[in-house]
Amino acid sequence: MAFLQLRSIEKFFGELRAIKGVDLVIEKGEFIVFVGPSGCGKSTLLRLIAGLEVIDGGSLWLEGKEITDLPSSKRDLAMVFQSYALYPHMTVAENMSFALRIAKVDPRIIDEKVQRAAKILNLTPYLDRAPRALSGGQRQRVAIGRSIVRSPKVFLFDEPLSNLDAALRGQTRVEIAKLHRDLGATTIYVTHDQVEAMTLADRIVVLRDGLIEQVGTPLELYDKPANQFVAQFIGSPQMNVLPVAQVPGLRTLVQSVPEGGFVGLRPESLNVGPAGQGHLQGRIELVEALGAETLIYVSADGGVQLVARQDTRTPLRAGDAVGISVDAANAHVFDAQGRVLRAAQRAAAG
Amino acid sequence: MDIATATPVPAVSARRKQPFNWRLLIRAIASWIVTLVIVFPIIFLVMTAFKTELQAIEVPTQWFFTPTLEGFHEVQERSDYLLYARNSLITSIGSTLLGLAIAAPAAYSMAFFRTRKTRDLLMWMLSTKFMPAVGALVPIYVIAQQTQLLDSVLGLTIVFTLSNLPIMVWMLYTNFKEIPPEILEAVRMDGADLWGEFRHVLLPLAMGGLASTGLLCLVLSWNEAFWSLNLTAAKAGTLAALIAQYSSPEGLFWAKLSAASLMAIAPIVVFGWFSQKQLVQGLTFGAVK
Repeated sequence: MAFLQLRSIEKFFGELRAIKGVDLVIEKGEFIVFVGPSGCGKSTLLRLIAGLEVIDGGSLWLEGKEITDLPSSKRDLAMVFQSYALYPHMTVAENMSFALRIAKVDPRIIDEKVQRAAKILNLTPYLDRAPRALSGGQRQRVAIGRSIVRSPKVFLFDEPLSNLDAALRGQTRVEIAKLHRDLGATTIYVTHDQVEAMTLADRIVVLRDGLIEQVGTPLELYDKPANQFVAQFIGSPQMNVLPVAQVPGLRTLVQSVPEGGFVGLRPESLNVGPAGQGHLQGRIELVEALGAETLIYVSADGGVQLVARQDTRTPLRAGDAVGISVDAANAHVFDAQGRVLRAAQRAAAG
Repeated sequence: MDIATATPVPAVSARRKQPFNWRLLIRAIASWIVTLVIVFPIIFLVMTAFKTELQAIEVPTQWFFTPTLEGFHEVQERSDYLLYARNSLITSIGSTLLGLAIAAPAAYSMAFFRTRKTRDLLMWMLSTKFMPAVGALVPIYVIAQQTQLLDSVLGLTIVFTLSNLPIMVWMLYTNFKEIPPEILEAVRMDGADLWGEFRHVLLPLAMGGLASTGLLCLVLSWNEAFWSLNLTAAKAGTLAALIAQYSSPEGLFWAKLSAASLMAIAPIVVFGWFSQKQLVQGLTFGAVK
């Protein structure tokens, strides 16, 4: 049975239709990530589920009961905000116990739960401090602690890591993944960072302009994107999408590309070799040597920009003329509207 | 007399010893001069209150004299000070509580549920203060008369409340806007209803603003003279009306006028003195957060 169900959810801001009828079924214990560019409606969708915004169309169901018009306070969901939103006049312990105190839970049970959550999150030494005496990472852990103390039906995270610096972000990401594994709680997580999406999610929901573009496991989206948008949004550096009109040679290489269509090639499907060899000729614009891998940016014939990824180092430099060979079996084919006609064959087979 | 401007400005203290700071000295002297200019009328008033009528009109002014309570006695004999004081107390406290009860929800909705019209609405509310009070005298007088609220404490309280509301809503609005809306959303997610949201989070976070708004309203109502003079007679007069009794029509009695004034302003000055920290804190809430 579906745990949380969104049925043709709609949201208007004045004349603007921000969410244009979203259907989604989330199972118990799943880690769902909403991802998409700014303004795609991912945060709005989360706030609609939280009850912080009014749902203008469609309905929302939790454990078989309709909660479309139920106020936030009655939904039994917990939310972790980007700005942490801790109560500045309460200590860490008071912040974490607030929801239970409101619910008039036995003080001994509250204390026990707060201690346990503090232990999980390494906050025990800070329980009597005020939020302003904590670092950003600690505040974020208090915000997470505040939600796990309650054992809510669903955890909602609204870009929880975007206020942290890069090192802390990576570390907290691992902690959140571990927490989800230990607690097994249903989680909806909003981010614009596709690395967070790929590493945390059981299933990713890619949104654009208030509509779901595709739902799937991280590797499904990577290997079999439903359209050009998802193909380019998931994966870093993004997929090279070449219009066949500009690179006619591709039509002989990759089969059944329609008129006005596109060929999508992941950076790892391109191999940079000596000039004159390979399928495409070009000139190197930039080489990014990242240590474990090397990214080579090439301006190829027909005026297209390409990026290739290889896990070996290269003596090549900017300005060198090169030939690029294409792994045609791993090419994605899109029609003129950007819909996928054929996903990468090897990945599809695997 | 406007009490708010009469509280002395604390001078900058010259604590650092080395080297001698001329700028600090000049600033200290300047602030003492400003303070004295502001406080002078009050000092003069206090002195006059303790003189006899003859001493009071003497020119040049006597700076040293034997103080007398004659003026106070006479004021007490001729008019019922306690009645006026009671009226002042009821109208200022009443209008403050009533005002807060109306202004707080208004400011809450404007600060946390903004629409495109919110700004205009706030400006419109403030603009009602641009009009001189006397412009509304006739309609308000007629309304008060028709509703039997002329010369009544209730009527005066309502008028005070209405005249203070725009400022109260503005003060609370700017104060509430300092509170991040996500904190209130977090309270809702934590299962608190509107009352819980107010009691556990909004009230403690906005306490400074609520207190300073209340204090300001209390001071403004206490000092209000125009409406008390025009809408009251014997029954509901406030201390402002008491002072006015001694300025006419039989000519000026400086000592008695001063004694009456002193008795009228003393409570609120003492009150303002003790709450000045709270007043300043509330007015600079956003700046020192």
